[in-house]
Amino acid sequence: MTDYLLQTTWIIPFYGLLGAILTLPWSLGIIRKTGPKPAAYLNILLTAIAFIHGSLIFNLIWTKPTQQLVFPWLTVADLNLTLAIELSPVSVGALELVTGISLLVQIYALGYMEKDWSLARFFGLMGFFEAALGGIALSDSLLLTYGLLELLTLSTYLLVGFWYAQPLVVTAARDAFLTKRVGDIILLMGLVALSAYGAGLNFSQLERWANTSPVEPLTAALIGLSLIAGPTGKCAQFPFNLWLDEAMEGPNPAGIMRNSIVVSAGAYVLVKLQPIFTLSPVSSDTLIVLGIVTAIGTSLMAIAQIDIKRALSHSTSAYLGLVFIAVGLGQVDIAFLLLFVHGIAKALLFMSAGSVILTTSNQNVTEMGGLWSRMPATTTAFVVGGAGLFAFMPMGVFWTFQRWFNGSWDVDWWLLAVVLFVNTLSALNITRLFRLVFLGEPQMKTRRAPEVAWPMAFPMVALTIVALIAPTAPIQWPFWLSPTTPLNLGEESIIQLATPLIALSGFVGIVIGATIKLDKAWARPTQMIWRFFQDLFAYDFYIERLYELTVVAGVAFLAKLTSWFDRYVVDGVVNLVSLATIFSGNALKYNVSGQSQFYILTILLGVSLLLWSVLNGQWSIVTNYWSSLLN
Amino acid sequence: MVSTKTIKSSKSLLIDEYVQRLEQGEALLKDSPENLLEVVGILKSYGVVLDAYSVNLCYIANTQFLVLFPFFKYFNGEINPSKWVRYVWQDRINFEYAEYCMKSMFWHGGGGLDAYVDSPEFLAVVRQVIQAKFKYNPFMLGLNKLFPDYLPEHMRQMTFYSGLGQFWRVMSDIFLSLSDRYDNGEIKSIPDVVQHILDGLVADAARPITYTVEVRGQKYDIVPKSAGITFLMDTGVPYVEAIFFRGTPFPGTISYNAQAYQIPYDQGMFNYGALYADPLPIGSAGIPPTLLMQDMRHYLPDYLHEYYMERTRGEDDLKVKICQSFQKSMFCVTTAAVKGLAPHPLDTQDPQEKEANRAYLTNWLKRLIESQLITVNR
Amino acid sequence: MLSALILVPLLGAALMGFLPQKEPKTIARSVALAMAVSVLVVNIVLGFQFDPTVVGFQFAENIPWIEWIGLNYHLGIDGLSLPLIFLNSLLTVIAIFSSSKSIERPRLYYSMLLLLSAGAAGAFLAQDLLLFFLFYELEIIPLYILIAIWGGKRRGYAAMKFLLYTAFSGILVLASFLGLVWLTGASSFDYEFLRTQTLALDSQLLLLAPLLVGIFIKIPIFPFHTWLPDAHVEASTPISVLLAGVLLKLGTYALLRFAVGLFLEGWVVLAPWMAILAGISALYGASCAIAQKDMKKVVAYSSIAHMAYILLAASATTRLSITAAVFQMVSHGLISALLFLLVGVVYAKTGTRDVDSLRGLLNPEKGLPVTGGLMILGVMASSGLPGMVGFISEFLVFRGSFPIFPIPTLLCLVGTGLTAVYFLLVINKVFFGRLTESLSQLPRVRWIEHVPAFALMTLIITFGIQPSWVVHWSEVQAVALLTGG
Repeated sequence: MTDYLLQTTWIIPFYGLLGAILTLPWSLGIIRKTGPKPAAYLNILLTAIAFIHGSLIFNLIWTKPTQQLVFPWLTVADLNLTLAIELSPVSVGALELVTGISLLVQIYALGYMEKDWSLARFFGLMGFFEAALGGIALSDSLLLTYGLLELLTLSTYLLVGFWYAQPLVVTAARDAFLTKRVGDIILLMGLVALSAYGAGLNFSQLERWANTSPVEPLTAALIGLSLIAGPTGKCAQFPFNLWLDEAMEGPNPAGIMRNSIVVSAGAYVLVKLQPIFTLSPVSSDTLIVLGIVTAIGTSLMAIAQIDIKRALSHSTSAYLGLVFIAVGLGQVDIAFLLLFVHGIAKALLFMSAGSVILTTSNQNVTEMGGLWSRMPATTTAFVVGGAGLFAFMPMGVFWTFQRWFNGSWDVDWWLLAVVLFVNTLSALNITRLFRLVFLGEPQMKTRRAPEVAWPMAFPMVALTIVALIAPTAPIQWPFWLSPTTPLNLGEESIIQLATPLIALSGFVGIVIGATIKLDKAWARPTQMIWRFFQDLFAYDFYIERLYELTVVAGVAFLAKLTSWFDRYVVDGVVNLVSLATIFSGNALKYNVSGQSQFYILTILLGVSLLLWSVLNGQWSIVTNYWSSLLN
Repeated sequence: MVSTKTIKSSKSLLIDEYVQRLEQGEALLKDSPENLLEVVGILKSYGVVLDAYSVNLCYIANTQFLVLFPFFKYFNGEINPSKWVRYVWQDRINFEYAEYCMKSMFWHGGGGLDAYVDSPEFLAVVRQVIQAKFKYNPFMLGLNKLFPDYLPEHMRQMTFYSGLGQFWRVMSDIFLSLSDRYDNGEIKSIPDVVQHILDGLVADAARPITYTVEVRGQKYDIVPKSAGITFLMDTGVPYVEAIFFRGTPFPGTISYNAQAYQIPYDQGMFNYGALYADPLPIGSAGIPPTLLMQDMRHYLPDYLHEYYMERTRGEDDLKVKICQSFQKSMFCVTTAAVKGLAPHPLDTQDPQEKEANRAYLTNWLKRLIESQLITVNR
Repeated sequence: MLSALILVPLLGAALMGFLPQKEPKTIARSVALAMAVSVLVVNIVLGFQFDPTVVGFQFAENIPWIEWIGLNYHLGIDGLSLPLIFLNSLLTVIAIFSSSKSIERPRLYYSMLLLLSAGAAGAFLAQDLLLFFLFYELEIIPLYILIAIWGGKRRGYAAMKFLLYTAFSGILVLASFLGLVWLTGASSFDYEFLRTQTLALDSQLLLLAPLLVGIFIKIPIFPFHTWLPDAHVEASTPISVLLAGVLLKLGTYALLRFAVGLFLEGWVVLAPWMAILAGISALYGASCAIAQKDMKKVVAYSSIAHMAYILLAASATTRLSITAAVFQMVSHGLISALLFLLVGVVYAKTGTRDVDSLRGLLNPEKGLPVTGGLMILGVMASSGLPGMVGFISEFLVFRGSFPIFPIPTLLCLVGTGLTAVYFLLVINKVFFGRLTESLSQLPRVRWIEHVPAFALMTLIITFGIQPSWVVHWSEVQAVALLTGG
């Protein structure tokens, strides 16, 4: 019975897919007379079933060793493609996180999107999203994971593009897709190469391959880099970080998913690929460098944002930067813990932000204030989510950092410096936002702010409770996944100083955030230097502009050049040859307006000409042949 | 530069033209048989829908206040399996739209009701209601202590539920009787429509807006009659301002991105209301009025339905056509409101009064000229 | 049995002439549709009876025709041609179905369409080089007429350009065939017989050169491609569907069947250059597509880019890559047919294909939302999104070619990345945003008009999830092509 149940695990992602398919009658406009809510209810129901099914499996899996389910997909010539899923507490736990958050988000969306007539399409996309994410959680095959990452790219495109008539959405959806796609294609190159070098595409086979079949250092480095590219796009890491900012044009419930689970999915894949990165130091180093650059850069960007969603989304990139560093160092357990605690905290913050946005019809934090006394659930969610996001209060991230630096891992001073930096700015950012949004005097747009209705409040409160008990994970987690065994270096000074320093950095962040002068709407710093930095951070270091002037302009120029070359050079040369075309073209004009019989004549003429050219003057033989047949 | 100047001058010309039109007793909307058919037909179905909205808003205000999980708030107290099935299938009026209008009105504020809910008298009664309602619920009472404005804000919103419900009650009756009179052949032109609406507004102008709730057998006058809140000035005018003019930006067409600065800081500069909204994206994602158009499609009188069937895509783009007609009808309502609120009768011959009227009308037209007015008259 | 695939459409084409002139226009359409559907049915039956494990031709029919020059009416079907035959009959049905009901001169139109289908079927079935050539030429004439009469504004120019190019291509192919027979001293044009003959390497190269140029024109491969965008732009939608879906495949089919099948040694010598040419062609097509403003031209250039993958796979000559090449033909046939169909719907409803004057067509009330949704999926299929047939076919091509030609493979992969770029630019411009005022009075789209697109989409997804259903038809034969079995 247990085994049978375990064998059915693969069904769980399909609930979401089924839900997506069931929304089609509404989203295609076949059912027009009644509203789209049944599609939403169906999806919520199926997600709930998926969650319950997953919970059953999760309870069973604890006592079992890790299992694989392998499905043969395609055998052709010497290539054998199989799709595999892994049944382990980690993979099923990740699946539970996906379905759980998805369930809460869908209930939340029922409230947030209640006035949207395209609700069915939204829930269809959410179901699709959930299916792809759930698949990634279970997948034990790089091929399957790659496929699902691409489907994730597609559904991100469609979800960001949900409000397709809104001008900024048009570019945001496009950029989100293309940015992620660049990463995906490079990943595909790595995939093709790996497969060609004889590695099986299941993660366990890859690990074996990495241990036994060494390739040249250059090849190893290139393969490693190409595999990093995919997750870099998904996790919104430099240089592919801007799409996440733009993607905030999409509906907020999708934003909750994106900032908590979707980015984590990218990092999850990265963790799974970790064995390959051991082949070449280049890939690990790249991971660390990308992580550091992103963590520092996006932390700075976050504190200058005036849009509540963007202030939070840049911080997502920063935390994922820390995850990149952890993977680069081979400290996979820490990466998992960071993903988990960050995911929950960020989901909560985004839920809170969504309810603020819906109530005030506004995303500009400088136009807000004074919401705390009227919105208990929203305020609590923000406080709990915020406290879980940076290390000061004994919440999720604090315990994760504590375990990172408590002597079990080989840590260095530079790492501590990065963590301190991110933690300080994160604390500053959350405190700043809290002051702007919830404290102070109400402004015009926050004058009337009743708490949101139960479909939004309930998931928010539920997730608040989850976030409050989430710290047990980093406290209880046994380090068992990382390739390097935990050390025990209790004596070094860094170990002794780290935890107090981190807590102090959180405190410093709060103090700065609580004391700096905050600008209300339309007010800007008067000193040039501050303005310069504010703009520099607020506009993401002008990276977008830089891309426009380099990559985009380059491709556009090349395309124009090729097109010109095609029209005037290639075609021109060819047309020289066909000067005769024009000549005979004139003759043809008459024919075009002629009778249909004329064309039949042309055909007959053509065919007989052809036959004639073949048989050239041998008519007697032909006639003989035919007459012999007739006789 | 030349072109902007000509646009400006043509704009002031247009304003003069419309002012003259109004002075001559015409409406903002051109009088034509098609317009009349569309306006009366759409107001008929709007009247039916408003009736349902109004009943539901009042029901919610009277029975669902201080309820944390109002699962059945759209059921109007009548919960049975068949209704349940219909609601799950969403084969029902989209009351979400009524709530959307209410929230919009509440958020924009203005008028006597808005001022009254901030008064100490209001707060005093509300506190009593809260204490009575949660007498045996220490958790909610504790929450109320911790977040002192949470439940009062909720009751303010409930007051607006009730206020809008009462306002729409009157409007629904006006529109339905308009349709009856049209069917009897008493309404023959757009100015007749305007006059009918105006008469209705004037008749109920001083009608008091009140809100009373009952907890454990005890009645509480949250908005007593003595507060002096009246139909026209305290709900009608704020409603026109909030719904017809300002509205809220639709996520389907406007970016909320703070750094894009598409949404003005000052709510007074909002122009996303019913008179301004672009009808073409109706039915798309992120366009809340779609819900209203969807509701109205079920109650179209036959003559209007046939009229739509003959045009463009028939049933396929029905919602857009309904929205276009609806906008026309809203210009008639606006005309009635403008006439009703004018300082002097519009057909006055007194030059001083005429002058005052002209200034008043020009002020209105300055706002209206940016709306869909020109488009609906094209 | 096989002759039916050629004779039924031929019969239909001839029947058109006898249809009374005064009958309503739809009767020609109904007759044509009936013929095309019956061919499709025959094809499905064949598919079920076909044994994919057998090497060589099945259901062969061999009637001596003109013995002294060695021409036989020799038909047969193997794993290489079966998917293409199927594609041909399917797309013929779709092309007829999606032809306008009020088309001018319906009898001539449908008879040409059927003639085209018969020609293509004959070419795929022919087991005799000369017979192949005859059908190869036969299919040019109806296509020329279809473009020249029912085409767009510059149809005369485009049709003539097409005719000159492909006629030239035919002459080159014929020259190569004649040379082959002459050099081997064979007494027959029979394919299987010629495969057993051996030739010196330099003779092979000598014969390959004209053959390849001829084939490259047909596929088309840079720099012989300029006829294709013009032909597509001027051709009506059903013709574009057939042109992209079937007729270009004649080129790649000939590439595998004759260039690889008959001159394997010579081909292997040339292959590195061919792989580079494939890479260039893929990038060139993609790059041109980015700059286009006409939706149909974007799809046409995309076609050029995607057909180049087949050249890459053929160059690699691994067992996997040859199988993948056949699969990519099917995949490209389905996807490009879908895209041309959808562009055709947009054009039919809006009267324009200009990317700059179209906007907001996703509008659910007044736009073309279902077409838009299908277009998004179609574009995703074309850019190789997993779950659809474009991904697995391209993956197999790349996987099969990478060990032999890594750099050209990577170039083609970049081309795949660019596919998303140019198509997304189009999609976001045309379908996203607010509907333009000038497009607010579009005619309605009935569900039946979506049937062909939905049918293709279903196949694209089905084969994307179950690629083995296609691959297993051709795998054995593709491998045999390399081993001389």
